[in-house]
Amino acid sequence: MEFKRYLLVLTSETDQAILSTAVQLCKNSRAKLYVMFVIEPNRVSRLASLTHQKVKAIYDKTEENGWQLLYLVEDEAVENGIWTSLHLEEGNLLELTKRYAETYQIDALVIRKKDEAKNVFVSSSVPVIGL
Amino acid sequence: MQLKISEYLKPEAIIMEIKAKEKIAAINEIVEHMVEHKLVSDGKEFIKALAKRENLESTGIGDGIAIPHARTNAVGDLILAFAHSPQGIDFSSIDGKPSHIIFLIASPENQKSEYIMALAKLSKLLRKHPVREMLRNAKDPEEILQIVRANEE
Repeated sequence: MEFKRYLLVLTSETDQAILSTAVQLCKNSRAKLYVMFVIEPNRVSRLASLTHQKVKAIYDKTEENGWQLLYLVEDEAVENGIWTSLHLEEGNLLELTKRYAETYQIDALVIRKKDEAKNVFVSSSVPVIGL
Repeated sequence: MQLKISEYLKPEAIIMEIKAKEKIAAINEIVEHMVEHKLVSDGKEFIKALAKRENLESTGIGDGIAIPHARTNAVGDLILAFAHSPQGIDFSSIDGKPSHIIFLIASPENQKSEYIMALAKLSKLLRKHPVREMLRNAKDPEEILQIVRANEE
């Protein structure tokens, strides 16, 4: 089975190792790569509370890191000749993942195991690759 | 690393009203403008690098914004350019809307981290609705620079 459209889901807890793997998956099957970074307000608030920092400061840092991750994936994808589409969203990871999978007719999701992967596995209508 | 995007945007790299009406023509017009002002040495190579990326993704990030970008040795340092299109240009944006604000970013091949950081900071800045509105209503290059300076963190 060959997938033609992957959705790579990123959060503030994603490490960069997953990026290259997703690009290689797309390269192997000449697939398109949609990349979505999700800012989760609950996680931002929790982190602000734990670290005694302002919510805005954590939010700003998360957003900037999110864009950096998106452009890092894109740079590697372009070097490998892979079509990409970058998205930064704020909200519930599960709901956004579901909406994107439907909107962009995604064939498979790529997500870091820790990033709510268990819930995504259960609710997803497409195959989920947990890395 | 602290990077201020305003330090890489020169007044002479700002076009207050771009003439082009479609994507590739707009990129050509911005690059030609940069070559005329000696901000880019090899315009042809620069356009080639930008076009390659445009073929592999949409640099129209939505909300009337497009950020064409490339890493290429056609430029000697990280560089930004700005262009305003009152009528809007189709950059195949993710929301389907025409782009009115175009920021072009380029860096030499070996300045990847600065390049990624500049893209991230600019994208974050342009997510702010008031900033987009101010940029669209700005009257001259100095005002564009002031808006960027005042709103980047």
